[in-house]
Amino acid sequence: MNIAKTYGSWVKSCMEKDPEKAGSRIRRGLHLESFRVRHFSDKRMPKAYRYLNYMAIRLVADALDKPDTLAYINIFAPVEILECFGLTCVSMEALASYLSGFYMEDVLIDRAEALGIAPTLCTYHKNFIGAMDSGILPKPEIGVTTTMVCDGNVNTFRYLQDRFDVPCCVLDIPHSYSPEAEQYVVRQLRELIAALEKKTGRTLDMEELKERLRRENRSKEYYMDFLRKRAVRSYPNTLTLMLFQLFASHLDIGMDWVEKCFRMMDEEIDTYPVSDELRLFWIHVEPYPEPTLRAYLNYGEEVTIAGGDFDLDYTEPLDAEHPLEALARKMICNIYNGDFSRKADAIEKMVQTCKPDGVVEYCHWGCRQSAGGAGLIRERMKKLNVPMLVLDGDAIDRRNTQDGQIRTRFEAFLEVLRQQRKDAE
Amino acid sequence: MKTGYVCKYTPVELLEAMGAGPVRIDPEVTNFNEADTRMHPNMCSYTKGVLETYVNGDYDGLVLTTCCDSVRRLCDVLKDLYPGKFIFLLDVPRKTDGHAAALYAGQLRGLVSALETYTGRKYEEGELRRILSAQWKAEEDTPGGYETQQQGTVSVGIVGARCPRSLYRELDRKDVHVQFDLTCTGMERGQSLWQGAGRPEEILRAASEGCGACGEAEGLLPAYAAVLLGQLPCMRMADSRARADFLDAHSSGLDGVICHTVKFCDSYSFEYEKLRRENRIQLLKLETDLTAQCEGQISTRVEAFIESLHAQKDGTGENGGEDTGRGPASAESGTGSARGSADTAQGGTGAARKENGMDRIIVMGIDSGSTSTNGVIMDGTGRILAAGSVRTGAGTIDSSAAIREQLLQEAGLTQADILRTVATGYGRAAIPFAGGSVTEISCHARGARYFDPHVMTILDIGGQDSKAIRLNEKGEVTDFVMNDKCAAGTGRFLEAMARTLEVEIGELGPISLQSTEEVEISSMCTVFAESEVISLIAQNKKKADIAHGVHRAIAGKAVALLNRVDPAPAYMMTGGVARNPGVVKAVEEKLHAELFICEQPDIVGAVGAALCALDAAK
Repeated sequence: MNIAKTYGSWVKSCMEKDPEKAGSRIRRGLHLESFRVRHFSDKRMPKAYRYLNYMAIRLVADALDKPDTLAYINIFAPVEILECFGLTCVSMEALASYLSGFYMEDVLIDRAEALGIAPTLCTYHKNFIGAMDSGILPKPEIGVTTTMVCDGNVNTFRYLQDRFDVPCCVLDIPHSYSPEAEQYVVRQLRELIAALEKKTGRTLDMEELKERLRRENRSKEYYMDFLRKRAVRSYPNTLTLMLFQLFASHLDIGMDWVEKCFRMMDEEIDTYPVSDELRLFWIHVEPYPEPTLRAYLNYGEEVTIAGGDFDLDYTEPLDAEHPLEALARKMICNIYNGDFSRKADAIEKMVQTCKPDGVVEYCHWGCRQSAGGAGLIRERMKKLNVPMLVLDGDAIDRRNTQDGQIRTRFEAFLEVLRQQRKDAE
Repeated sequence: MKTGYVCKYTPVELLEAMGAGPVRIDPEVTNFNEADTRMHPNMCSYTKGVLETYVNGDYDGLVLTTCCDSVRRLCDVLKDLYPGKFIFLLDVPRKTDGHAAALYAGQLRGLVSALETYTGRKYEEGELRRILSAQWKAEEDTPGGYETQQQGTVSVGIVGARCPRSLYRELDRKDVHVQFDLTCTGMERGQSLWQGAGRPEEILRAASEGCGACGEAEGLLPAYAAVLLGQLPCMRMADSRARADFLDAHSSGLDGVICHTVKFCDSYSFEYEKLRRENRIQLLKLETDLTAQCEGQISTRVEAFIESLHAQKDGTGENGGEDTGRGPASAESGTGSARGSADTAQGGTGAARKENGMDRIIVMGIDSGSTSTNGVIMDGTGRILAAGSVRTGAGTIDSSAAIREQLLQEAGLTQADILRTVATGYGRAAIPFAGGSVTEISCHARGARYFDPHVMTILDIGGQDSKAIRLNEKGEVTDFVMNDKCAAGTGRFLEAMARTLEVEIGELGPISLQSTEEVEISSMCTVFAESEVISLIAQNKKKADIAHGVHRAIAGKAVALLNRVDPAPAYMMTGGVARNPGVVKAVEEKLHAELFICEQPDIVGAVGAALCALDAAK
């Protein structure tokens, strides 16, 4: 029996008549899952990941329990500032993933589409919109989004504001860096801070913000060190864990637990043997519900994901003495922002660090910034002589991915990689 | 030099001043072969169209803006493809305050400098000022602003994303007055630029005098950047409230709004959602991929929408009774309505006349669908004298002739007895013997009420499209939606599934009722679903269960379609797929309501057409 699916059906069964009850079942489900992860998780899961998994679920469950300190954000929002005001940040992408984890995406996406939202919109956004519309998610205190990387953000958060009266802040992030662009963003961050001060009655403690940035720098150092070791050592993971890693690298970055988690990873990897699996570098999101990919990649003995671009979208150390400038720079210079050549250069560099056997780009339904550049990345990889596979699918909506197609392509790719290994030997 | 551009925030006047020859790209392509290869099939269709147009055109340059993710990638791809050409990306801020304008002015300076290097021609500020001043003067001298409608026509506003040219042609053909057009570059440039610009004269003068503080003139570019950003916002801007304000201010005399969305451009579906939620005006959502192939689809939907607007305006409630002037005789009348006039094109000498009594008036309705052509002969009392159906096959003309023969024979009549024929369905314009045509939306509404006067919501699933139609108490169409071009969830889809399961199409429904296990068919794409069915067969799943799964998948799609029109009971299902008891049951389960199915659900559209013919004949 699929427990998550059964639980999801139970939630769905009362969604129409009593959305609050359904919402409470979701929160209870998350608490139960965090308990399960802490005490009964898969023995193959490294300790650091067990901690990550637990924290990622527990913090969201707690945050949803307390709407008066809840902020809905998109994954690139400056959480470092929001957290200084005692707000807990939950990204709408993470919520969409969790709801899909409960097998609820079908009704929620259909609901969003029935409102008139385009079927071609990214399913992370549609799932979130459907959930908000159905009343199963609490209304947050504030919404904060950036304009970078994804077109959906401005409209999804505008919907949140317009439909549910949630005050939302849009940070307009220019396409490319210049001192003027940096100042343009800094000014907006100051406006955000002023709005938060007014809202919460608290004054921003600049020292606290600086300390968060220092922790962020240390966390990333641990992670980069981990990745260098990961180039030669095994470290069991799953598609879902790779997504959970976004909590550490984005949503909670700057928090104590994240530094601890990355330090644990960096230390724990030394205890794992030298890797002989086929190693993949993953571009864009991991489609954790996809059956074939789960079968091969969750604790995969033959093939493993050795790194992904999402965790490395900004690797430069932040200048903690000038936190607002540093955060502005972090957003403008994110590899997904700006000309695609920036992303292509960064991926080239990452591929050289992670030394994978092959690269997989997963074109998630509705994500134009990623899919539109697939051809350009392919050209780059050709020059580096690294085989690359482009998979089309949907990381959220199970109905929108054809496992048969994924299986054929993925297995054929593995055949290529095996052959490549054999030739090298 | 010829430089393409796409977005209203492009400094078109600056390009003109620098001799770059700005030309707005309005793609009208028939395929996306290049774009699908160089980008990805799931990119916005407009962007793909621009790529096709640029690759196959004689442009020297292209100035794009960061208006959306698709255009950003388009720029990357074209830069890579044409390193020697002038391809420039302007970063348009999403905010419009002074800081944003200053930032955008910096972008404009970057453009100037890049163009100077590329062309060797110096930027002359005087030239830009001259162009802007002339444009503003012309705008100031233009009376009115937004014209109100003329007597007897309907007046619509257009919102959403850039429209295909065929939409404007269709509106023109239908004599529809377009009161405003808020799509990407839809507004006339002078109006777009200067209507929100406060005091243009001062802007231009202040810019020429400079700021004084630094001793150097600041130049025109900062003021120009502010004017560009001050245009009515598009949906990518952080604050788009001015769009709603505009609608509030200009809704007087407006009959309806067309919201156009482009496939894989999602921003404007949010605008549609908002308009729909606020429910303040009759709304048509039209989604296209901007290819030439959309023309038929546009025609059907726009025509049906205009019919309902006319009906609403006239207060007749007989929206289906309009003859929209497609027939050879009435087309020349130029009035768009042939009501009350006999159809001379049918050579009606010797034919029954209305003074001969109602039962002597005999009309025909033909519904020319993609899969089947259905027909009805009806007398003046509304009695059906003959009804039937033939496969459409490869030719609309042949199948319509065949159904006509079959019906005449069944009723024991000759062509001379038919006073009037009205055609509906996809092939309605191509039926030579029809005296007029009405869209299948209106015809289904009429037909449904003929069979059951209580029907409020209609689900029609035909061979290649499905639609949900909502009626008001009077039987007028108040809202309708249609599926897109793909055959997901239609009769074609079922045919493909039946073929894969190796059962006759007629058996699919009864078989599925014997299902004992729930099997999920997750895909609605015919091709993907076929492979899913094959893998279920390989897993030894029973045909009955697979068929049931197929039907449930269709029902899910159908109910989602219904939900978009605020459905209310009583429900009726029409179209050939309503003959399938498995689909009917699955839809009823999902809808938690009963569907009324008449004896011959596939002739409902034809009955509606016959009723329209009757109106005209009377």
